[in-house]
Amino acid sequence: MSDTEYSGADTSAAEPTPDVTDDVALDVRGLTKIYPDGTLAVDDIDFSINDGDFCVLIGPSGCGKSTTLHSLVGKIPVTEGEVRLGGVDITDAPTYERDIGLVFQDFQLFPHLTVGENIEYGLQRLQVDADERAERVTNIVEMMRLESLADRQPEELSAGQKQRVALARSMVLEPKLLLLDEPLGDMDYKLQKHMERELLRLHRELDTTFVYVTHDQTQAMRLADQIVVMNDGKVEQSDSVERVYNEPATAFVSAFVGDSNTFTGELTDVSEDGSYAHIETPLGTFLATTKNLRSDPPSLVGEQIPFSVRPQYLEVTDELDNSVSCRVDDVIHQPGSGTQVILEATTTDGTPHELQLKSFDRIEPSDTVSVGWSADHATLLEQTSVVDGIDLGTDILGE
Amino acid sequence: MTTSAISLEAVTKSFREETVLRDIELEIEDGEFCVVLGPSGCGKSTLLKCIAGLIDSDDGTISLDGRDTAEMSVQDRNLGYVFQEFEETLFPHKTVAENIAFGLEHGEQERSPEEIDEIIDDMLSLLAIEETRDDLPSALSGGQQQRVELARQLSRECPIMLFDDPLADLDYKLQKRMELEMRSLHADLESTFLYITHNQDQALKLADKLVVMNHGMIEQIGTPESVYHNPQTAFVCRFVGDSNALVTEGVPTDVGDGVVDVETEIGPITATTQNGTEKETGIVIVRPEAVSLDTADCETTVTGVLEGRTYTGETTEFALSIDGLDREFYVVVPNDPDIGSVGETMELGWNIDDALYFEKLSVTDAVTSSDLLGE
Repeated sequence: MSDTEYSGADTSAAEPTPDVTDDVALDVRGLTKIYPDGTLAVDDIDFSINDGDFCVLIGPSGCGKSTTLHSLVGKIPVTEGEVRLGGVDITDAPTYERDIGLVFQDFQLFPHLTVGENIEYGLQRLQVDADERAERVTNIVEMMRLESLADRQPEELSAGQKQRVALARSMVLEPKLLLLDEPLGDMDYKLQKHMERELLRLHRELDTTFVYVTHDQTQAMRLADQIVVMNDGKVEQSDSVERVYNEPATAFVSAFVGDSNTFTGELTDVSEDGSYAHIETPLGTFLATTKNLRSDPPSLVGEQIPFSVRPQYLEVTDELDNSVSCRVDDVIHQPGSGTQVILEATTTDGTPHELQLKSFDRIEPSDTVSVGWSADHATLLEQTSVVDGIDLGTDILGE
Repeated sequence: MTTSAISLEAVTKSFREETVLRDIELEIEDGEFCVVLGPSGCGKSTLLKCIAGLIDSDDGTISLDGRDTAEMSVQDRNLGYVFQEFEETLFPHKTVAENIAFGLEHGEQERSPEEIDEIIDDMLSLLAIEETRDDLPSALSGGQQQRVELARQLSRECPIMLFDDPLADLDYKLQKRMELEMRSLHADLESTFLYITHNQDQALKLADKLVVMNHGMIEQIGTPESVYHNPQTAFVCRFVGDSNALVTEGVPTDVGDGVVDVETEIGPITATTQNGTEKETGIVIVRPEAVSLDTADCETTVTGVLEGRTYTGETTEFALSIDGLDREFYVVVPNDPDIGSVGETMELGWNIDDALYFEKLSVTDAVTSSDLLGE
């Protein structure tokens, strides 16, 4: 995991464009794409990726992540903005001059060439001499563990093997950047998990910058050094996995990346040192931490502010800072990963509010329970989203 | 004796030379949520189609509520069937309400328009898509369309529902939401659910009874807990849940109480036997969540070098290289412990109970240890 802070972290605030350093492999500034029919697919986004990092672009269907990826590779002309790779402006460069490799979900191997010939093909086109070609193919075949498959035809390979060949074919060209467009999308669950680990290993060994697009947030969390969360054509947050998960910039990020329980209410008062605030919600008044807020907490008194609590921080107890009485709707014991409890609390006006609790141990709650959490795990979030007027349920579930 | 909702006895099916179902024996009780889990091509879809009557089995007996289906047409079987490709099953020119009404108007039971309206309202509310009542399918998201298809099938009040991986094409977040809804629908309707999937996470979450299939055969039937904690073959242990596998060499030494000493790729290991101790080769499996990085109380310890560390919010996965092993060894611990930097030598350990020794890799002898290690 890279411990570097990412420069594209907060796109909602009007920050100056950070200086591009040698560490930055890819820098995207003000990227905008309007399709001929007037659809604004990508709306003035900024993010940068450090050299050698594994960056994952994630967001709900239609959020603009695929358009962004296709803009990077030059398949779609951008309407406005700038894309720099290794400091060089490639915004208008043709695809073949960009030094970017691309791997798709459907592999796109040449069916009439062997594995070895598929991998060598790009080098031949670049007129690399025979000795160097042989050496580079041998090296990449070894790294991808394809030695025993080099003479096979693509049709003789399993899906996982084809994907490794597709990766090898791109990587042998030694691109500055490798883009992966949902490469594990069509695979069986088990193979997907296996390939995620293979990708992590290859990324460590290759030391190339990866940009990976997916809608699967667990895959994003498992693979990424850096996550760019997109929504409705904008970047909600671009940050390390730790920060996206533990210090989400918006309620959208908190709900989209990982599971979370989100509450909204009026911020009524702030503790003397400013670290905690009371929030009056239809479920009761709760104490939450202000550590994630950008504004001075007292300035938010009287405003409606959301906060979220991760399910693993909810406990069956009334001895923590906050508690609420719930009916237990469902208890799911999942061997190997503990217990998930679906709870229903009722607001003062009688509306049901669903909560989720996760325990790494096996627990057997009774039918009605008091569920509690500490103020330190209730994170106040200043914004619901960088997109105006968003409805979390609707926009995250795509309903 | 009560009659099973679905009963299969010695069911066999071949397509040309290839046997896709071998001697399937399965009893699904009334009201049970049964999930059949297996890799692509294991025969699970064929099994579902045989039960539905869309494919005839070659041999054996399939009974529904005690009635042999040999003479029953597809319609007579009165089954609800939800496919993965739901887009193709909705009528594109009919509204959501008309789509649901169609099955009710053409069902065996006579219903007044008022009754049909009431059922539609109940179904739309149960599936939380009331607002789509007058929309055409094309105006709906994938998740909404899938719910309309569910509503259409569920409204027929069939005592048995068949599901062919219905959530596979949905976005991750919606999949998680729909898994919870499937559980609550099952609890509300009290119908028998038979559900097939390749997704073990979903299977472990949904099933009362879990059936693991491979190469056209049933590897194991049990509750999710029993299949996960007491896998009968190495295939089941590898396919259900996460695992590290170590290939063994030579016949193990029985040291009593179901425990053996056995030579593995990373040296000698003491393990608990699962299905025999007589063969020259076998496999030892250790689940990543059973491995500890605090080894003070561990019965077995080994040393590895940390290659990668992946924080996923709820858990952290450590990838280690161990001398003698040509693949990484994984350890998963809750949360984000403040230990381990890449390149560091770490000690890891587990208890003898957590190292499972299998000499029988699968119920089919076709499975080799390299199949289990590969992709």
